Amino acid sequence: MEHDIKTQLDLHGVVCPINFVKTKLALEELEPGEHLEIILDEGDAMLNVPRSLKEEGHRIVKVEPLGETFRVVVEKGSS
Amino acid sequence: MTETHFDIAALKKIGMIQQKQKEYFAMRLHVVGGDLTSTQMKKVAEVAEKYGRGQLHLSTRQGVEIHFVHHGNLELARKELESVGVTMGACGPRIRIVVACPGELTCRWGIIETKAIVHDLDEKYFRQETPHKFKLSVTGCPHNCAKATENDIGVMGGLLPVWQRDACTDCGLCVNICPTGAIQKNGEYYVLNSAKCINCSICTSSCPMDAWTADKRGFILWLGGTMGKIPRLASRLPELIETKKRLYELIDRAIEYYRRNGRKKERFGHMIDRIGIEKVNEEILHGT
Repeated sequence: MEHDIKTQLDLHGVVCPINFVKTKLALEELEPGEHLEIILDEGDAMLNVPRSLKEEGHRIVKVEPLGETFRVVVEKGSS
Repeated sequence: MTETHFDIAALKKIGMIQQKQKEYFAMRLHVVGGDLTSTQMKKVAEVAEKYGRGQLHLSTRQGVEIHFVHHGNLELARKELESVGVTMGACGPRIRIVVACPGELTCRWGIIETKAIVHDLDEKYFRQETPHKFKLSVTGCPHNCAKATENDIGVMGGLLPVWQRDACTDCGLCVNICPTGAIQKNGEYYVLNSAKCINCSICTSSCPMDAWTADKRGFILWLGGTMGKIPRLASRLPELIETKKRLYELIDRAIEYYRRNGRKKERFGHMIDRIGIEKVNEEILHGT
């Protein structure tokens, strides 16, 4: 299922925790239920950002590998 | 005072190690799991200034050593340290200070309470004699920060994940972040290859729907790791140990087996290689 993407953010080469901070700021511009697409590096970024998003009440709805990065679709939580 | 007035071997046993400057000793302190209180730390600094040269050394095993203490001051320094509960360490062919990571008390990845285990192990085994030096480590999860695999015995927290179909929304995160590729999608099902799974909890912590949950939590036991002249990574006992009782029973058997079979100056792991891992595992898992 493809999601209607509201905003895209390329975080390739952006280190932790700046990548998460930028993701949060981008999510602040969205309404609950809207989708943000981020590009994350493999390794630490993929280990930390998805889990931090979960802790903040957002939900990852799709992950696809793109070479050494990943395309991650995040749905903004209601809280 | 001449050298004959002190017993080098007895001092070494309690972590007072003669330096190459023969009148001086390094005092290795008993720092269990790398933990000291601020009061203890202040006292250690004070003793280093008063009886040494204000020089402290952090060992590779989370220990603290006070260097350049004249042999005539060793007892005085020891008594002062004891006033705040800091006791002496160990050196030579015996069980050394047990190291640990902070574990689930503070770490978001921690699966087990490393601090409780490190104190149990310390209380039971510290300074006991073994054929050669013997090092234990307790690490909270398979990230392995406390290097369980580089110790004669390493305890590691671990969990076995299980997938709940009803909760899964098919985002694919787990397949993409599992560090060993143990999760694969097969049709509409996510399948765990338990032979590849390292029990690390990355899938259970990250899954946005909690579709991966812990089916079992427990301990992984690593045997025979060592660094030194002939490095050898530890071998994993092939089970996820579910109770502390069973964990301690297995550790006890492993140490006893080493005492019976290890040769002088032969590390546990090198003994395992000489005898054969299958035989040693069998004895430890099912021996009496």
